[in-house]
Amino acid sequence: MESKGLILVVDDDPDIVATSRIILEGNGYEVHTASNGKEALSLLSRVKPDLMLLDVMMASDTEGFDLAFKLKEDPEFKDLPIIMLTAFLEKVRTEGAGPFEYILGEQWPVEWLFEKPLDTKKLLARIEAIFKAKKIVPSG
Amino acid sequence: MAAVVQSPDLRAAWGELHEFSWRPVRIRWWAALGFLAAVLGMRAAGAVFPAWPFVLAVLFLLAGNIVIYRTFARRKDLRPRSARELHQLVSWQAAVDGIALWAVTYWSGGVISPLAAGFLLPVLFVSLLLPARTAYAYCGIVLSALGLTALAELWGWLPHQSVYFNGAELVPAAHPLRTLTFLGVLGTVALGTAALAGSATCTFRRQVQDLDRLRETEAVFSRRLQSIFSILETIGSVRDLHRVLETAVAEVAGVMQVKGASVKLLSDDCKFLRYEAAFGLPDTMIQEKVVEVERSPLNKRIIEGEPFVTGQVTAREMFQFGETLSAARIQSVLFVPLNLQGRVIGILGAYCEKPDRFGVEEVNFFRLAAGLVAVALENARAYEAVTTMSHERTWFMMKVAHNLRAPLAGMLSILEVVRDGYLGPVNDDQNEYLRRLDRRARTMLALVNELMALSRNRQRREAEVAATEPAMLARRVQRTFQDKAAEKRITFQVNLPPDLPEVRGRLETVEQLLENLVSNAIKYTPAEGSVEVRFARANGTVRIEVSDTGIGIPAADRPKLFTEFFRAENAKAMDEIGTGLGLAIVKEIVDQLGGRIFMESEEGVGTIFVAHLPIAAAPTG
Repeated sequence: MESKGLILVVDDDPDIVATSRIILEGNGYEVHTASNGKEALSLLSRVKPDLMLLDVMMASDTEGFDLAFKLKEDPEFKDLPIIMLTAFLEKVRTEGAGPFEYILGEQWPVEWLFEKPLDTKKLLARIEAIFKAKKIVPSG
Repeated sequence: MAAVVQSPDLRAAWGELHEFSWRPVRIRWWAALGFLAAVLGMRAAGAVFPAWPFVLAVLFLLAGNIVIYRTFARRKDLRPRSARELHQLVSWQAAVDGIALWAVTYWSGGVISPLAAGFLLPVLFVSLLLPARTAYAYCGIVLSALGLTALAELWGWLPHQSVYFNGAELVPAAHPLRTLTFLGVLGTVALGTAALAGSATCTFRRQVQDLDRLRETEAVFSRRLQSIFSILETIGSVRDLHRVLETAVAEVAGVMQVKGASVKLLSDDCKFLRYEAAFGLPDTMIQEKVVEVERSPLNKRIIEGEPFVTGQVTAREMFQFGETLSAARIQSVLFVPLNLQGRVIGILGAYCEKPDRFGVEEVNFFRLAAGLVAVALENARAYEAVTTMSHERTWFMMKVAHNLRAPLAGMLSILEVVRDGYLGPVNDDQNEYLRRLDRRARTMLALVNELMALSRNRQRREAEVAATEPAMLARRVQRTFQDKAAEKRITFQVNLPPDLPEVRGRLETVEQLLENLVSNAIKYTPAEGSVEVRFARANGTVRIEVSDTGIGIPAADRPKLFTEFFRAENAKAMDEIGTGLGLAIVKEIVDQLGGRIFMESEEGVGTIFVAHLPIAAAPTG
């Protein structure tokens, strides 16, 4: 089957990585995975994903955001769409950048933020929408 | 007397005496005019005498009075300010009166004229207000002047002046012996008056002095009391350690009327003393912030519990910072240990530019103040510890929340993959049990979320100063729930009149309150029903009404509605995830914001929750 696009899933929870892979592959995407920011960076030097699913809290509380900011400053990856996932939306809401809607403002390096557990339908719809907007041509 | 007059707290009694020194100036205008009228009256009655010397004397008196008035009445307050001024004011008046009296006495027949008795008035005046010596000197001058006049008349150097009435001389030229007798009597009476009035005034002055001292003591006492009260107040209201100490040292310096005060605190290992707060001291001194106790015998002694006082900082024991102190021109210092429950935690110091400033009384008061400062300190430290603990607790709860939610999220993801058939077909029975598993996991997730919310609200009890715009609230609640309501085919409406004032509380807090109410309403309203949120202004509050056409709440369950983990019987019977925490959180938030909440419900018909939230205080400049 022709891949609809290449997605990089970065999460330190192996269950989330595994299920995301199943769901995404089941919906026609090609998936690469990494379990932390460092691994993700080294993977990025080899593969060019069309989108990244990124967990916020990994080894450190903000590892995901750190990686996202780093990529936005990198000319090669600044246009890589990122969807952030967190089991800890409360923290982002109360301590990070205030209410949810502001999180998606310009200053945030992500396209969208989803709370875990994921609503698969919404996630897939969001990915479709981003790909459509970016006119990502299916690779392979 | 000078000491009393110069004492800073000169009081009313003494002030009145001073005011008295001004009174003759006012009387003199009328006395002069009265005398003039008497002279004219005498002339009209047929008395024969040269009128011009009397008129001149009166004019002199008036002129003198004008000069005195203009010299001394430059301020609004007519009282003399100093002993010197009082002396001058009284002396000038006595001199003017004396000269005028001498003139009218001489022109009305010489020293034995009845008008000579007038001299008793200035004598009395002088002896009441000026020291005894001055009064006697004044008597001497008056008597000498009269004696010389009598001699001059006797030897023919001055002509005898007479007043005639009906041809008879009113005061005939007297025999020298008679003149002498008269002067003797006048002198005795004058000196007697001076002595009596002088001693009475002297007693009075002493009493005023005593009273003054008493008042000064009382003022000092009251100032100290006030300062103690102020320190106590600070203990109660200020929680920041540094500010408590800053306030305390400023208070202490103020009440003791000294240049500066400082607090040094002992490190936990008792090896170092650090300047924590200072008032009125040069920066260079504070910047040498740390003192090693072992290398400072002076500080060591104080820490061992002994207060230290010196009136000469150049003394040997002050070698440690004598130089800095003399550079700041400080001469007296006083250090007492800060004791807390028998343990020394630091040193309180006072610094003064005057030498030998601190006596036993000051040391005693200072120890008392040190006790209060120590309590304030402990209080602030305790508060700091509580705050830190509360932050740590929040952080801990956050961590717990994340660690509880992460595995649940993983579990739900796996369940979804299986149920959605990604791993192969699932039969109906399997699917049913997986659905049950999914529901239990989601209940647990909701519980974790709401427990976290509850604990967070309890921590946030402190001042909710923020304000929330109802319009923003309405917009957000509409957006949050419109999809969910549509999914269940429930009509969902948010009704907001224009121009509602802001309500008290942070947006997230108030939003959580409303979200819980609306989420319940949608949850327990069957398909095709309706849920409505109405905002309105009511009596200093904003009224938020959430009504539904749901299953209602049984009457028996209503009293327990707002308790944690409680779920109404009919709610439990429904296949909906609920934790029994939603309304407990609502109640918690309403109480915290100072609002009220009511409900009305009929089983099978619907439920209305009405929350009244206080309007946010208008921002003050």
